[in-house]
Amino acid sequence: MLPLSLLNAAQNKPMLVELKNGETFNGHLVNCDNFMNITLREVYQTSADGDKFWKLKECYIRGSTIKYLRVPDTLLDAVKEEQTRAREAGRSARGAHVSGAGNRGRGMPQRGRGAMRGGPIRGGRGRGRGM
Amino acid sequence: MLIFSVFKTLTDQKVTVELKNDLSITGVLKSVDQFLNIRLDKIEVFDEARHPHMMAVKNCFIRGSVVRYVQLPAEHVDTQLLEDATRREAAAQGKR
Amino acid sequence: MATLQGYVDHRVLLILQDGRAIVGVMAGYDQKSNVVLSNSKERVYSMDAGVEEIELGLYLVKGDQIVLIGELDEALEQSVDLSTIRAEPILPIRY
Repeated sequence: MLPLSLLNAAQNKPMLVELKNGETFNGHLVNCDNFMNITLREVYQTSADGDKFWKLKECYIRGSTIKYLRVPDTLLDAVKEEQTRAREAGRSARGAHVSGAGNRGRGMPQRGRGAMRGGPIRGGRGRGRGM
Repeated sequence: MLIFSVFKTLTDQKVTVELKNDLSITGVLKSVDQFLNIRLDKIEVFDEARHPHMMAVKNCFIRGSVVRYVQLPAEHVDTQLLEDATRREAAAQGKR
Repeated sequence: MATLQGYVDHRVLLILQDGRAIVGVMAGYDQKSNVVLSNSKERVYSMDAGVEEIELGLYLVKGDQIVLIGELDEALEQSVDLSTIRAEPILPIRY
């Protein structure tokens, strides 16, 4: 499973992000891209030493400044399930020469982003929240 | 790219990798990639009494960017060949 | 990157540039060596107490923060009583 598939599936989910400088951000993921640039909403920011707090309505974090992200445990199964389904849909579509019908219904990407990579895994859950 | 090739010729040899966090790890070089990331097998950490963190680890992946030194087995490096190859590459670069 | 192949679905130890040691099951990785760890725990080393394990759950670590990923040998892992281990934390990377 690709790290970016997990991140994509985390849209609208709560997460904790620690930056390389030790600051942490707690919030819900609004959007992300393939550089791991992210936007969060309803954010609690904590200073590196943990003694200062800020509340932010929304914030943007450049991917290159991130150390790690902590996401809900349940996402792993959700992503795995989705991949299995996408694989099966792909297989039946190829086998029966039915053009990806299984895939189609599940919200194929409305927007251009992500078309470059990842094939049938993308789309589906939690995207399409316009920014 | 030259050094990448050198490392490739050293697969299955015993090397010691010193990291930029002062850990020193000896093991059998299993593979290397273009970033000089390294896979080591049968690893031993230098001064394990002080560094017990990797006691249960037998093989590992080391990110190339955190490597300070790699000690190579001298008998398996043809330095004459390496010098010639380095000159050739330098000359090729000069022409461009 | 052929070199992380074989660690997926295995329990691994991950050492970060800031010196943290995290164990977990490698759920996936990509070319930049970004890594997903499930059921992860941080191992906190100190000289005056045994190793403390802190539950972290599902973790996505950026590749540029990674120092080392080691495959944990389950048998060796079982034989070690973490509460008896006293050690300095791993040093952070210094350039």
